[in-house]
Amino acid sequence: MEPYQLIGTWVAAGLTLCLFSFLYKDNPFFRFAEALFAGVSLGYYIGITLSQTIKPNLILPLAQGVTWDNAHLLFAGLVGINLYTRYIPKIAWFARLSLAIYVGYFVGINMVQKLQGEVLPQSADAMVNLLPPAAGGGIDWFPGSFNALLSFVGVVSVLVYFFFSVEHKGIVRPVSRLGIWFLMLGFGAAFGYTVMGRVSLLIGRFNFLVIEWIGGTMRAFGGGS
Amino acid sequence: MSDSTMKTVRPGNTPSGKTWLERFEKIDRRWIFLLVGLGTLIPILFPIGFPVSVTPPVKSIYEKIETLGPGDVVLFSYDYGPTTAAENAPMIDAVLRHCLQRRIKVIALALYPLGGFTETARSLSVVMAEYPDRVYGVDYVNLGYKDGAQAAMRQMAEDMHAVFPTDSRGTALSEIPLMQQVRSLRDVDLVVTVATGIIGEWWANLINAQFGIPIALGCTAVSAPKYYAYLDAGQIIGLMGGLKGASEYERLLIDGYPLAATIYEDPLLQSAMKGMDVQTVDHVIIIGFILLGNVAFFMSRRRAPRR
Repeated sequence: MEPYQLIGTWVAAGLTLCLFSFLYKDNPFFRFAEALFAGVSLGYYIGITLSQTIKPNLILPLAQGVTWDNAHLLFAGLVGINLYTRYIPKIAWFARLSLAIYVGYFVGINMVQKLQGEVLPQSADAMVNLLPPAAGGGIDWFPGSFNALLSFVGVVSVLVYFFFSVEHKGIVRPVSRLGIWFLMLGFGAAFGYTVMGRVSLLIGRFNFLVIEWIGGTMRAFGGGS
Repeated sequence: MSDSTMKTVRPGNTPSGKTWLERFEKIDRRWIFLLVGLGTLIPILFPIGFPVSVTPPVKSIYEKIETLGPGDVVLFSYDYGPTTAAENAPMIDAVLRHCLQRRIKVIALALYPLGGFTETARSLSVVMAEYPDRVYGVDYVNLGYKDGAQAAMRQMAEDMHAVFPTDSRGTALSEIPLMQQVRSLRDVDLVVTVATGIIGEWWANLINAQFGIPIALGCTAVSAPKYYAYLDAGQIIGLMGGLKGASEYERLLIDGYPLAATIYEDPLLQSAMKGMDVQTVDHVIIIGFILLGNVAFFMSRRRAPRR
């Protein structure tokens, strides 16, 4: 490990321990690390956008000369710069034009995307055959039909639960209650996955502390393999 | 002798006068943190090696890549950052190793702003060092990061060279041999996205839905339940959910390729399979506390005087 890498590892380990210190109680070390993370993240975002997007996609092509092929970049650049007019009170309203363009573009792209890419295919997938054919002929009662029925009942009961145009009484009440049970099962699965996700992040930090920080330092000074 | 020390301790009560049940209900949560911490540290220091079973959503990604070979191109989209690298990095590294084993050409790019670019560089430097005969520009290329993921991927389906005029090193794409054969997403055989947020959804509901390009998806465990809807609807060919999904892919790779097996034997490699030991121990601890907490809750409710 190079000396600069070792210094970086020690800084990262120190910041990790600062953040872990919150588990005992709130303290200035945690707040320092938290604020540093927020600041560095913003700085990173600005830097990476400038170097990886604005420079190669806007500045460099225009620096080579404005032609009919890249004249549209001038418009895109002006729309972006125009956003900052909001800091000049007299012409602050001008920024709304750029916002209107952005909102219009993404509303347009999202409408098609959501309908074609989510609503239609997933609605079609939810319309299951309740009596699916078995491979050897006849009906696949289990698990085919059972799973299809479970899926059907789940989708309908949850939709009924979210149907607020009628009062949940009479036949609607037990169906919506069943919908709550399906929702709870869904939340339970999501919670289980969330626990796994959070433990994974903990593993990542512990691996870093054990293998890279302690182990790396020992290896750097010839104390371990 | 003071009055307090003269008090007799009734059965079931502690010297402080509280029952064990009351003490448990008010247990300092830092004890739980400490136990989970130990449950994490000990299996890292002394790996147990619990078996990893493979599920169909992960196997289908593996099998798809098994159908590809030299001359085929797979695009890797690093749509996550360091905050979730612990669960996302093992999965994308494993799929990348698989592609390199099969001499598939690789295009890497990042669409996630907070660290996607850094993760691309990390992954390529780690994995490509294991396959030193692969040549940059011919066998693999790093296109870097592009802002505005949704618009960028929409345009990539038409013309990748317009979205990425240069690679991450500043070389024009027209000068890179690999990119001379790839003009748009239609020229790639598979897109592998490992995503921490909504970008994975966009690959499915925009690129797959509108252009029919096959998508293999890896995601954080938190996001996994929602992606099953995309998997069932056939919008993604497979799904790796969290560290478990990554460990399954590693298992398949180790069983299929001897070189990969030697790579994963390295004790310094932070693999998902090693992480699953910790997951098992920590889950036992957490489930134990959930059960005990519920038992304590219901017992205290029974003991409480009825109104």
